[in-house]
Amino acid sequence: MAAAPNASARPGDGGSASAEPLLVVDDIYKQFETPEGPVIAVDHISLKVMPGEFLSVIGPSGCGKSTLFNIMGGLLDDYQGRVSVAGETVKGPHASIGMIFQEESTFPWRTVIDNVAFPLEIAGMPKAERHDRALHFIDLVGLNGFERRYPAELSGGMRQRVSMARTLASEPKILLMDEPFAALDEQTRLLLGDKVVQIQQQLQQTTLLITHNLTEAVQLSDRILVMTYRPGKTKRIVEIKLPRPRSSEIVGSDAFGHYVAQIWNDLREEASRGLKDDESRRAERRR
Amino acid sequence: MAQTGHLTAAPAAPNIWAAMPLKRRVMWLRIALLVGIVAVWEAVAASGLLFRDVVPSLLTVGRSLFDIVTKPDYKVTLGGSEIWIPEFYRHLWVTTGEVATAMTIGGLAGLVIGLLLGTNPFLSGAFERFLYYLGPTPKIIFFPIMIMWFGVGPGSKVAMGTISCFFPVVLSAAAGVRQVESVLIRVGRSFRLNSWQMVTKIYLPAMRPSIINGVRLGLGVAVIGTLLAETKLSNQGVGFLIINSYSTFDMPRMYALLMLLFMVAIGANALVGRASRG
Ligand SMILES: Nc1ncnc2c1ncn2[C@@H]1O[C@H](COP(=O)(O)OP(=O)(O)OP(=O)(O)O)[C@@H](O)[C@H]1O
Ligand SMILES: [Mg+2]
Repeated sequence: MAAAPNASARPGDGGSASAEPLLVVDDIYKQFETPEGPVIAVDHISLKVMPGEFLSVIGPSGCGKSTLFNIMGGLLDDYQGRVSVAGETVKGPHASIGMIFQEESTFPWRTVIDNVAFPLEIAGMPKAERHDRALHFIDLVGLNGFERRYPAELSGGMRQRVSMARTLASEPKILLMDEPFAALDEQTRLLLGDKVVQIQQQLQQTTLLITHNLTEAVQLSDRILVMTYRPGKTKRIVEIKLPRPRSSEIVGSDAFGHYVAQIWNDLREEASRGLKDDESRRAERRR
Repeated sequence: MAQTGHLTAAPAAPNIWAAMPLKRRVMWLRIALLVGIVAVWEAVAASGLLFRDVVPSLLTVGRSLFDIVTKPDYKVTLGGSEIWIPEFYRHLWVTTGEVATAMTIGGLAGLVIGLLLGTNPFLSGAFERFLYYLGPTPKIIFFPIMIMWFGVGPGSKVAMGTISCFFPVVLSAAAGVRQVESVLIRVGRSFRLNSWQMVTKIYLPAMRPSIINGVRLGLGVAVIGTLLAETKLSNQGVGFLIINSYSTFDMPRMYALLMLLFMVAIGANALVGRASRG
């Protein structure tokens, strides 16, 4: 097994050394019982995220990224280890954490504006006020003019932006985003990525992003957590020391290319292990 | 298709039939069928082959229907003054009240229990099986018990309607809960909704199609349960009127009442349909 030789880059070492970490993931281990036996989805992952940090998680499909996020978001129990926010152990969904899910998650029975205003409605904000606030976030994700539409009348990428605006509207201190840009074209993806970083820098929001897109990860992140294929371990944590603000133009630079190549190297190894694994399983099933 | 088509409706110009839109063709077929039935009916009535009035002429049925809805033969006192109305409306009112009460009790109970079963594997494991066994059982077998518990008045009719409508509602609600996308539940939880908010803001709106379907089926069987009970033992309600006409051998009146009942049922179904879209 090509287990992370580069474990010297200890998790949580990045960022300013003096500040207290906002989010601490301590030795998380999670396994699912399936009909084909137990599957280890997250294998002893630890992480310290500093306030205002932007951290991306990248890894082959099925390595346990979403599971890790669901644990951080307090949506799963029955795992080993500990998650804490500002020193407080997370038991169930935490008020400071906002999540954007990988799956389609808009409410089909609500218009765009009522979808986005949802967390404000739950908080008891009067209608006029919350619609006002919602409009601001709809504008932010570039959906003005679509307020009164229902999700069924929008494209997949637009729906994903509605869920994004909905979570942003709750103004969480920590934002967990699970492949929010997956359904977007490259141009929209870049522009929206810029927007997200802008908001993030403005609000000093601590952001964790799951992505399969290397360019996106390097462009947006302070650090990148690369995960191994099953069981999902920390392969490496890469610190991106590119100056901010980073516009989309930085993508062409040498330093940028260097980071992408480095991470791609790690990923290729894991992804090909994943593919082989899938193939052998398929062959087994055929027999 | 077109072959049978120009036989019934347009023998002279077959290509007109073929060129007609499907909806129009369906309409013509229906009209033809209706005319056919009426013609056969009238022929049988006129032939005198069957025992007197088993197949009454549609004219007498129509006259009877007109009488039922217009002839004021029942006295009501409204705010001190006396007015005469057709008695049918009183019976219709009784039956409607019974069905509405049954729908409210049975529907709400079905919805609440369905939500509990759908969200709680322990409860569904323990009880859901029985619901599937009892669901298709003809509920009329419970009528004697209901008479003992709730008397011979409207109480036992409401009980029959309630039992009838409970089953389709509870089963569709339980199935509906399980069809709610798990990610929507995660969204609700991550926004930290309490249980009441989870039900009213996530589960119920997401389950709307299954609930409406359950209510539709429930309404149908509640009407059946109530009317059946009325025909068995009662002195008021539409079911009573129908069985009463039958036992006094007033066939035109019985047919007229059945037709009115159809119309009311169609109207009620349309109302539920409209509520589901609005
Ligand atoms: N509820 C569950 N029950 C059983 N197994 C599960 C469950 N959820 C996830 N798994 C398994 O855990 C592993 C990790 O899943 P996870 O969804 O976290 O992957 P991922 O890294 O997010 O993948 P992707 O990039 O494709 O979204 C997978 O092998 C999956 O089959
Ligand atoms: Mg995932």
